[in-house]
This record gives sequence, C-alpha cells and structure tokens, in this order.
Amino acid sequence: MKKLAKFLKGYIPETILGPLFKLLEASLELIVPLVIAGLIDNGIGKSDKPYIIKMCLLLVLLGAVGLAFSVTAQYFAAKASCGFVSKMRYSLFEHIQTLSYTELDTIGTSTLITRMTNDSNQVQTGLNLTLRLLLRSPFVVFGAMIMAFTIDVKSALTFAVVIPLLCVVVFGIMLASIPLYKKVQSRLDGVLGKTRENLHGVRVIRAFCQEDEQIEEFERRNEALTDMQKFVGKISALMNPITYILINVATLVLIYTGAVQVKHGSLTQGEVVALYNYMAQILVELVKMANLIISITKALASAGRIQSVFETSSTMTYGDAELSDLGDGIVFDGVSLRYSGAAEASVQNISFTAKKGETIGIIGGTGSGKSSLINLIPRFYDATEGKILIGGKRISEYSKDGLREAIGIVPQKAVLFSGTIRENMLWGNGNATDEEIMRAIEIAQGASIVADKGGLDAHIEQGGKNLSGGQRQRLTIARALVKKPKILILDDSASALDYATDATLRSSIAKNTEDTTVFIVSQRASSIMHADKIILLDDGEAAAIGTHEELLATSDIYREIYETQFGREEDENE
Amino acid sequence: MNNKKSSTLSKVLSYIGRYKFLMLVSALLAIGIVALTLYVPILIGDSIDLIIGKDNVDLAAIAKLLITAGIMVVITAVMQWIMSSINNKITYHIVRDMRNEAFSRLERLPISYIDSNSKGDIVSRIISDVDQFADGLLLGFTQLFTGVLTIVGTLLFMLFINWKIALVVVVLTPISLVIARFIGTRTHSMFTLRSKTNGEQTANIDETLGNQKVVIAFSHEDEALERFGEINARLEKASLKAIFFSSLVNPTTRFVNNIVYAAVALTGAFAAVMTAGASVPFTVGQLSCLLSYTNQYTKPFNEISGVVTEFQNALACAGRIFELIEQEREIPDAPDALVLTDPSGEIKITDASFSYTPEKKLIEHLDLSVAAGKRVAIVGPTGCGKTTFINLLMRFYDVNSGKIEVDGTDIRNITRDSLRGNFGMVLQETWLIGGTVRDNIAMGRPDATDEEIKNAAKLAHAHSFIKRLSNGYDTIIGDSGGSLSAGQRQLICIARVMLTLPPMLILDEATSSIDTRTEIKIQEAFSKMMVGRTSFVVAHRLSTIKNSDIILVMKDGNIIEQGSHKELLRRGGFYRELYDSQFAKT
Repeated sequence: MKKLAKFLKGYIPETILGPLFKLLEASLELIVPLVIAGLIDNGIGKSDKPYIIKMCLLLVLLGAVGLAFSVTAQYFAAKASCGFVSKMRYSLFEHIQTLSYTELDTIGTSTLITRMTNDSNQVQTGLNLTLRLLLRSPFVVFGAMIMAFTIDVKSALTFAVVIPLLCVVVFGIMLASIPLYKKVQSRLDGVLGKTRENLHGVRVIRAFCQEDEQIEEFERRNEALTDMQKFVGKISALMNPITYILINVATLVLIYTGAVQVKHGSLTQGEVVALYNYMAQILVELVKMANLIISITKALASAGRIQSVFETSSTMTYGDAELSDLGDGIVFDGVSLRYSGAAEASVQNISFTAKKGETIGIIGGTGSGKSSLINLIPRFYDATEGKILIGGKRISEYSKDGLREAIGIVPQKAVLFSGTIRENMLWGNGNATDEEIMRAIEIAQGASIVADKGGLDAHIEQGGKNLSGGQRQRLTIARALVKKPKILILDDSASALDYATDATLRSSIAKNTEDTTVFIVSQRASSIMHADKIILLDDGEAAAIGTHEELLATSDIYREIYETQFGREEDENE
Repeated sequence: MNNKKSSTLSKVLSYIGRYKFLMLVSALLAIGIVALTLYVPILIGDSIDLIIGKDNVDLAAIAKLLITAGIMVVITAVMQWIMSSINNKITYHIVRDMRNEAFSRLERLPISYIDSNSKGDIVSRIISDVDQFADGLLLGFTQLFTGVLTIVGTLLFMLFINWKIALVVVVLTPISLVIARFIGTRTHSMFTLRSKTNGEQTANIDETLGNQKVVIAFSHEDEALERFGEINARLEKASLKAIFFSSLVNPTTRFVNNIVYAAVALTGAFAAVMTAGASVPFTVGQLSCLLSYTNQYTKPFNEISGVVTEFQNALACAGRIFELIEQEREIPDAPDALVLTDPSGEIKITDASFSYTPEKKLIEHLDLSVAAGKRVAIVGPTGCGKTTFINLLMRFYDVNSGKIEVDGTDIRNITRDSLRGNFGMVLQETWLIGGTVRDNIAMGRPDATDEEIKNAAKLAHAHSFIKRLSNGYDTIIGDSGGSLSAGQRQLICIARVMLTLPPMLILDEATSSIDTRTEIKIQEAFSKMMVGRTSFVVAHRLSTIKNSDIILVMKDGNIIEQGSHKELLRRGGFYRELYDSQFAKT
C-alpha cells in the first residue's frame, strides 16, 4: 500500500487530528466506569447525595466534551478520506494516461473502469471508517486493559490473555478474506464487462435475437459474483460470534476470579463492577469493529487492485528531442513488430524511406499488417526489431509530446467525443482559432456537416452517434488536420465515404499539405495510386515497394488488386 | 421528493418480500439472540449481587450462574453466525435480482434509449449504485432488526427491574431518533447529488478510457485529465458534504445517550440511597445491571440512526436503479403477432416517414416495392439516410407514419425475433462478443456443429487466418484481446451470416475493411447466397452493386432515382455523376 499512502500526504493534519480527537473522545469514555465506581462506593456507600449529583453532572460534561471531539474527528476523517480518494483517483487517471497501447491491451478497459469507480469508492468508505473508528477501537480495548490493571493486576491478567486471542481472530479472518474480496471485485469486472459489451453491441445482439442468451450469460456471471459474495460473507460473519464468545468467556472468568478475591478481601464489589464494565466496553467496541473490519478488508482488496494498476508502468521511455523538422524524412530499417503474447510477428523486416512532403500509400490484404505498420510511426508500439528514424534521429529520442504533436493520425475507427464540434476539433490543437478549425474542416470536406448541424457549437454525442459514419470520418480527418501535422496518417479513414467525396478529399489534402509526409492506408487502389511510393504488404512483409507504374509492371498481386477495381470497369465504361 | 422516496422504499420492500421465509428465520434468530444477550447480563448481575464482601461470597451459586451464562453465550454466537449468513444471502440475492432485472430491461429497451443515454451512466447504475445499495441494505438487516428488538427487549427488562428509572430512559432516548431524522432528511439530497455526480464521472471514465488509444494518438492526455479533474473535484465536494453531514448523526445521538446514562445513574443512585435499609432495597447490583441495560438500550438507537443515514444513500442509489428498471420497454410484440416463418421476402414500403427528432425531418413519404428474391442496392452520399433505412427494416426504430410490410404483413404485427431472425445483417461497424471465435460465428445458431462453423468460415474466407490464430477457433477475442485487424473482424461477422443463411439479407458496407481481392471472393459467395433471397446492399464501391435488380439512389432521406444500373446510367442523373467520379481518371 506504499504507493497509495502518499496520497494521504496533503492530509497529514487531518489524518492525525481525526483519530486523535477520536482517541480523546474514547478516553473520556474510559473515565465513565471510574466515575460510576466512585458513585457506587462513595455516593451510595456513604449516602452522599451532593456527591452523586456532582458525579452525574460530570458524566454530562464528559458527554458534551465528547460530542465536540467526535464532530471534529468526523470532519477531519471525512475530509481526509474524500480528499485522499479524489487525489488517488486523479493520479490513477493520470497514470492510465501514461500507459501505452501495449499495457492497455493487456489490462483491458472494463477492469480499468471498475478500478476507477467501484474500487475507489470502496477505498473511500474503508478509509473514512478507519480514521473514525479503527484507532478508537484498539485504543478502547487496550485502554480498558490498562485501566483494569490499575484496579487489580491479578484480575487484569484475564484481559492480557483474551486480547491477543482477539487480535489473532480479527487478523486471521481479515487475511483469509482479502484474497476472496479481490475475487469478488474481479467477478464484478465480468459483470461490468458484459454490461458494456451489450450497450455497445446492442444492434448486433438484437439483429441476431441474442437478447435471451445475453441475459442468460449475464445471469451466470452475476450468479458467480453472488456466490463469491455469499462465501466471503460467511467467513467475515465468523468474526462477530467468535469475538462474542471470547469476550463473554473472559467476563465469566473475570467475575469468578473476582468473586474469589472479594471473598478473600483483596477486592471490593465496586471494583468487580468496574472490571466488568471494562470488559463490556471491549465487547461493544468489537461489535462495532466487526462491521468496520469487513469494510476495511474490502477496501484493502480494492486498494490492492488499484495499486497493481499503479505498478504497471509504461514500457516506453522517451527522450527529450522536439520534432521541429522532418529533415531526411522517415526511415524504416529492417523493422519487425510482434505484439506481446502473439505467436507471430505482425510486421516483418520492413525497410523504406519516406521523404518530407511525400505521400506514401500502403495497401495489402486483410490482416496483412497495414495498421500495425503505421502504428509504429507515432510509437504506439515499439518495434521489436530494426530501427525507425525520423529527421535523422531514432524515434525513441523524441519526447512523447514532441513526437505526437508532429503527427496527425486518423484512426480506422472514427471516434468523436461528447461535446461541441469545436471542442472535438481542439483535440488537434488547443490554440486553434475558429478560422483555422473551419479551414481544416473545409479541407476534410466537412463544411456541409457543420452548416447542417448548426455551427461549431453544435453538440456531438458520445462516440459521435448523432452523425453518420461518413460524417464522423470527415470530422476525424479534420481533427487531425487542425494540428497542421508534419506527418499525416490516414488509416483506411475514408472507407465510409463515397468515391466522389473520397477523391475530392484526397486532392484537397494533397493541395493543402505540401510539406507534410502523408501515409494513406487503404483498400482502394484509387486512393493510393497517385502516391509517390506504394508499399504493398502481404502477410506482414513488404511484397513490393515502388510507384504505381512500377508495381503494375512488377507485382502480380498489385496488378490483381488494381484490376479487380479498375480493369474490367474500364472495359464496360467504354 | 418525499413521495418519490417512499415509493422507492416500497419498491425495495417488494424485493425484500421475495425472501419472506428467510426474513422470518432471520427475525426469529434475532429475537433469540436479543433475548439471550439480554439474559446474560441478568445472570452476571445476579452473580455480582452474590459478591457482597469479604467472606460473604457464595462461590458455588456464582459458578452455577456463570456456567448457565456460558452456555447461553455459545448458543447466541451460533445463532449470530447463522443469522449473518442468512442476512448476507438475502442481501446478495436481492442485489442479484436487481442487477438481473436491470440487465434484462436493458435488453428490452428501445434502441433509441440506448442511443440517447450515456453508456457510462447506465453502467454506473448497474454496477456502483447497486453495490452501494447492497452495503446500505446489509447494514440495515444486520442492525435494524436486532436494534429494534434490543430496544423492545431491554425496555421490558428495565421495566421489570425498576419502572420509574426505566421511564426516564423511555422519555429521553427518542430524542436521538428525532435528531437522526432531522439530519437524514437533510442529507438525502446530498446523497442524490453524490450519486448523480458519480454517474457523470463514470460516464467520463467510460468514454475516455474506452477510447484511450485515440486520446494517446492526439496527446490529449492533459486535456482529458483536466476534464476528469473538474468532475472529480465536484465529486469530492459532494461526497465530503454527504459524508460529513450524515456522520453527524452518530455523535449527536451518542451525546443524547450519555445524558440518558447520567440520568439513570442519578435516579438509580438516589433510589439506592433512599431505599437503603428498606425491605425491598434497590441494590447496587440492580443499578449496575440497569446502567448496562441503558448502554444496551441506547446503543441500538445509535446504530439505527446510523442505519437511517446509510439508508439515505442506499435509497438514493436504489432510485437510480429503479429509474432504469422502470424505463419503458419497447412496445412488446402483440399477443397475436405473426411469427414469420420461411418468408418469401417480398417487401413493400408505403408512405413511410421517419425522423430521430421531430425538428429534423429525415425520411419522408417513402414508397418502395421489392419483389421476393430481388437484390436491392442503396447508394448515395454520406448522411443520406441509408443507415436509417436499415434501422427501420430491422425495426430498431419504428416508422412515425406509413408502414413497412414483409410478405404482406405490417412488420409491427410480426414478432421482433422472427423478423430479425429472418434478416442476416452485416454492418460496417463490426462487433464481437467477448468469447471464442467459435462463439462469435455461432452467435445466430448456437447449435451449429464444428463442421458447419468451419464451412461458414471458409465461405467468408476467414478460415485461413483463424487457423493461424494461437488457439484456432478457440482463441478468445473481444474486449481487450483485440489483436484482430478491422478486416479480420469483419470476416468473422460475415461468417456469422454465412452460417445462418437467413431468407433476407442486409449488407451495410459489409466489406469496407476487407482488401479488394478477398472482397471479390466474398462477393461471389454473397452472390451465390443472394439467389432467391431478398437482399439490401449498401456499398460505396459501385462495382459491387452493378448487378443488383434495383438500385436506389438516396439523397437527404429521399429516393431520388431508382432502376437498374444500365437504366440509371442512361438517365444521366445523380447516379451517373457518382459513377463517373468513381471511375474517372484523375
């Protein structure tokens, strides 16, 4: 928990003062049995009425001071726990932002979401209760023991025996249930995952009439979660009865030995009552603590899960160079990429050079490694072999922002975020003016969308679902253009556009990005045939590299692709 | 507000009502536990009374009393454990039921609800809100029951020992409940705000982390963090307020209890002094017993008041869950709705109009008649209403006016399952469930044999790449195991349809991410499949639709041209323009 403890730093006064006030309050409570003992022995014993009244007023005073202490403690506890979790959640979010594609692939989205939300909430509840009660309870328990010693050493030995036993029980049950609560949380991941999956795939599920099967699968996962919760619940539920037995047996022993001592004259009746009261206080505290311990155990399990995200750090390290000029362009030298956990390399031994201002087309079959190849340029993944140079420097020498700010990428899946069109466009460059944004949108052939939706302030829903696929693609292209990138990557990003729009779009991009090196991944020969260089990928390897004319002459595969799209059409067209 | 709260409460009670028997057992155990826990102090009080002074102690009698007490303690402990386990069971089963119901409601909600609500917020309701509700409920069970019983029981015992002093307790203690209620009603709105902010945060987390790769690609981490930080700060404030103000209940009620305690000590001590030497004296043993009862009596008030605040939170969460569960489901199939079996596939659309929002008209007065087994292609610029057209055919949305008929029956009079089951659909946006490749292909026909699945995959040209995956057809794909390329995912979706061979087909840019050589082979497979099947094909590559029987050219929600490829070319309209632009040599 070391990594998490640092978030308490800003709340040191609160974390100390909270429990401290709680302790003060508890110590007041410990005085109560003494007051009662005095009341019995002096007040009733000597029939001293003013003394009785004095003692009772003292009890009220103790209560009032206790109230003040307690409210103060609650405030500090609430402040520290809310602050802690807020900070932790912020840092966790910040940390996730530093993870690279590889880590995101391994961890998975669903579990990250549960850890950000549900696990964090558990930690908050646990911490709040801890600050409020955890110190208080042991303090009362040990305090009661010490007070017992001041009354009678021999009788107090019972306390000295039972308290360690209580500790063993409490910690034993805690240790046993932490891993179980972790399992509960990971099953909760499963339930959350299913929910998300169904929200995102609702159309396909309905199209295949899969509703009932999905409900069945959800219920199965939910049942597994419930079973685990019940199982761990049974174990946690042992805490209360076991401690109850221990304390009561101790009480009985205490009274019997007390009775023997009174018989021998070494103890008074009032003292036995006081000892009994101390034992009763321990019992009350432990009952309170049993629920607390469950919350703390849950919180610890959740904290462990959060901690493990913090421990996953990005495998990438960055240099500090800025990418101010492309210089000699982009050089791939014997580059291969094998995803972690994959059996085969997705990209194999690729070498090529892309000069400043050139347009590079990438074409190839389904699963031939086109997206993998271009994912290497912004360093979403690191090449497992070979090296990539940009502007004469190895790609790893650049700072993260330096590199990414120079590259505009339009991913295959056109994702927009909830907010206005302008907000989405500012993703490319936070300082862009409205003119610059409109310029980029015009280049991306999206002016009609903006006009249609009612200007840059028009609202876009999560995922851009109030736009059609083609509209989304044009806006994602515009978003990349707002950056005025030195390298522009279009990853099959015009697939939802009709050919006419696609052609206008390409020529408009070509016209407006003279110094930009453009990578175009496409299925359409028409999209890449005018490129300065075409890389034809086949099963992860570069089957051919050259211009359209060269490839037509030398590559059978390329010719075949071209002909399937153009050849026969032309014949008919005539 | 109060009305809404009480109705949420009654709904919660109806869930609890399902476990009447267990509740009864739990209640009986609680009575037993409370009775015994109260009985033990009496035994101890009696033994203390036997400890009078030096050489005045009846050890044998004390031992007897204590052994009885010991047995009671063990029995109590066993009952406690059983009761806790039962309470756990009830709580987790209620929670399970709620989640199941929320999820199955989700599967029956109109798509428009899912389209127009934040997914993260829905997730937050099913996960976080249900969880917080469970916490509150469990606390309620474990403490409310025994709490109330303890109060009643202790009261009886106290009345039995000394009714005058007991009266003092009875009059003073309810003050704490008044305080708890006062604070509780004031914190409910704070908890609602907290729950709402929590939902908002989950929505933000869902959206950002769900698209984390885009965030990375745009170096947008700082801005994303800033947006998150803003919501996070608001959540911190809302939580602090809710937690602090609700936590005031405990200390204040405890203060009330302390006053009660002092009052009992005072009256008890006076009683003892005054009755000293009387025939029925009020003994010190009785006083210590009363004081310990006072503690036991006031403690549950303390706990109940704690439960009251915790319950505010639980109710706020439950309210959000019920909102989802009670969301109006899509209009259910009429009881006499037709189950479509082996349709010929004749489709007729008469005067259909539809728009997502009333302000923005989309499809207006659409008429179309497609004979059985015909191939229909839909072309048009992006945003012209092609996808909407498919939404209507599949009944993801219903037309606002006019009607769509399949085999002469209005599709609103056909069961949704049978209508959708007779359509095979491949969309541009691929979607795979978390599971094996086999599960994904067999989605429409879970009973398919391995042989059939393999054949379907071969037809979709997916077999060769699936074979090469680390575990072949058993490779797990979906959520994060997404090492498949967009094209490969699309091939799996095509294999799904190849397996079910439905009488009608919808292919919406079904091959957009697939390379053209594979595409041609798949087109051949599709062509074979389309024989005798009514099919709708949306495609940008006009080459793939040339052979359609009818081509619909759509623009701004209307069909502006329709006819065969040759006819449309001859007409020289919008289609001709599109066609030329596609094959024009630039």
